[in-house]
Amino acid sequence: MAVAPTPPGPAATPPGPAATPPGPAATPPGPAATPPATTPPATPPAATPPSAPTAAPQPAVEAIALRKDFGPVHAVDGIDMSLPPGRIYGLLGPNGSGKTTLIRLLTGLASATSGKARVLGVTMPSRTNLAHIGYMTQADGIYPELSVWENLTFFAALYGHTDKADLVRSLEFVELDTRTGTPAQDLSGGMRRRLSMACALAHHPAVLFLDEPTVGVDPALRVQFWDHFHRLAADGATLVVSSHVMDEADRCDELLFIRDGRVLAQGTPAELRKRAGTDNLEAAFLTFAGEGATTSPTTSPKEAAR
Amino acid sequence: MNPLRVAAVFRRIVAQFRRDPRSLALLYIAPLAIIALLGWVLSSAGATTTRVAVVGDTSNPSAYSAVVVGELESGLDGQPGIELHRDVQDMATARQMLIDRKLDVIISLAPVQNLMSLQIDITTLGMNPTGEAAAIPAIQQALEKALGDRSGGTLPQIQRLTVYGSPNATQLDTFAPVVVGFFAYFFVFILTGISFLRERIGGTLERLLATPVSRAEIVLGYSLGFGFFATIQVAVVLAFVLGRLQIPELGPIPTFAIGLGVRTLGSPLIAYLLVLVLGLGAVSLGIFLSTFARTELQVLQFIPIVIVPQALLSGFFWPIDQLPSLLQPVARILPVTYAIDGLRQVMIAGADLSSSQVQLDLGVLVAIAAVFVALASATIRREVA
Repeated sequence: MAVAPTPPGPAATPPGPAATPPGPAATPPGPAATPPATTPPATPPAATPPSAPTAAPQPAVEAIALRKDFGPVHAVDGIDMSLPPGRIYGLLGPNGSGKTTLIRLLTGLASATSGKARVLGVTMPSRTNLAHIGYMTQADGIYPELSVWENLTFFAALYGHTDKADLVRSLEFVELDTRTGTPAQDLSGGMRRRLSMACALAHHPAVLFLDEPTVGVDPALRVQFWDHFHRLAADGATLVVSSHVMDEADRCDELLFIRDGRVLAQGTPAELRKRAGTDNLEAAFLTFAGEGATTSPTTSPKEAAR
Repeated sequence: MNPLRVAAVFRRIVAQFRRDPRSLALLYIAPLAIIALLGWVLSSAGATTTRVAVVGDTSNPSAYSAVVVGELESGLDGQPGIELHRDVQDMATARQMLIDRKLDVIISLAPVQNLMSLQIDITTLGMNPTGEAAAIPAIQQALEKALGDRSGGTLPQIQRLTVYGSPNATQLDTFAPVVVGFFAYFFVFILTGISFLRERIGGTLERLLATPVSRAEIVLGYSLGFGFFATIQVAVVLAFVLGRLQIPELGPIPTFAIGLGVRTLGSPLIAYLLVLVLGLGAVSLGIFLSTFARTELQVLQFIPIVIVPQALLSGFFWPIDQLPSLLQPVARILPVTYAIDGLRQVMIAGADLSSSQVQLDLGVLVAIAAVFVALASATIRREVA
């Protein structure tokens, strides 16, 4: 029951699938694949093409006129986007800009007021498709009474993933392998964050949504997290990382500036800087936000409504 | 429905509880403590002797009052727990004896012309109305017996009095089944409600719903997990209620018994089945109602709404047909009503699964549990954020 139902999308586009999960690097039951988590992907052939913008592969994540209203508030206000696989996408925006709602729509946890969300070519919500998706929530979302190992095995089991050796590697990956028996409530905040990440990664999802993964994480650990993210992307995974910290933006392959439930701008950090005519991403954000405000006068009252 | 995912949820519930000794204690020790206390109170309530004097005009032996006094005295004399003082003849002496704590109850008759206008006063000291009142039912029973023949009163009452040889055991026998069912319901409801609420506020439900697990699998896993603990709870409580282990004297500690040794006629297994179905309903009800709570305190606020009315209306204290007619239909939709009825059928009347009454009780409990499961499944996905 583990990885059986391959999403129809990648199967349809022949060149793409190398970048998505069934590739050798992502599923490591074989003994030869022991170190995928720990060694940088220098050798795997699958890792080479993802960022090459060839004949547009099947997008890993798509939104089509996606909209979510909470009463009079448009939390997500008609977002269109198409994210090719194998890259790290940063959702950047202030608190309350709709990042979490957008992620919840994309994972199918919230139902859209209108529009469509697709992951790996499958329209969300789709319970079976969730097997290929990882979601690290903003809250730790782990059981405080349970030990590190019990938390990890529980979530992995829900994905049908019970390979013990591989789960041990997941813990090594976040450097919690010496803490397996510790109840989660006795861990430090940073360790809980890492456990939360291990729980989201244990089943080797092809698409990974990380909602503010580095909040409350000290700088050294933050660097480690981003190294992990880059390794996963190099192995073919698609990561959508939300953040309101601009200094993390440069670590993403591509950025989406989000405000008031709309995408203000999308592009690589360099492109966005260039378009805004500034070296400072924060200033770039404000530039785009200013443009948005002039073109759509509804933005500021909505901001006030929050 | 994937059994592996259900098993994962089940194992998680068990592991969580193993780590939470206080909740386990609530599940196992609290009901035992309460039942033991109940048994203790009920058994000692009849243990004291009540000193009684019957006072009335006996000057004319053929007058009604004299006849009634004679009937009462012969009726009360030799009753267990009653010490009759035949020597007390007039009210003044009797009152003084009451004040001097040499007497507990005076039964006095005003002089009357016929039986219809007979008035009987029961006088106690009034210093401790509740404690004194405990003796009054015994006296009333004796009065009924004594007067029953005279007034052509109902025979069943007299019949009941002959059984009355062991008042404490009888009371406990009828209470024990009720307590077993009610505790299972109460604790399972509270524990699931709070566990599930913590899933909501702790963000783990959000994460659960982002996995391929289905709502039905979550409800089933929860039911199995809490069913597992409810099973142990019911086994422990039943063993305590039905069994009796005499502990010999140990130094200053006098001999005492562990367990109540309540007599049961029916199969404990059927009793267990009833409680289990009731408990499964309680799991889903807990999940369902946790949707409407934002904090643990708000879960506890459901106790007066969900638990207390069931205690009052389900036949716990008063038979359903003695309830006001407006409340009777309410009692008939409460799951605890059917569990208590079934448990009484099984444990007191010795009914088994062939009894249509037990079949009805079980059937209704299954139906109510199914409704709650549906409600719980439907509400799990309510917007978490």
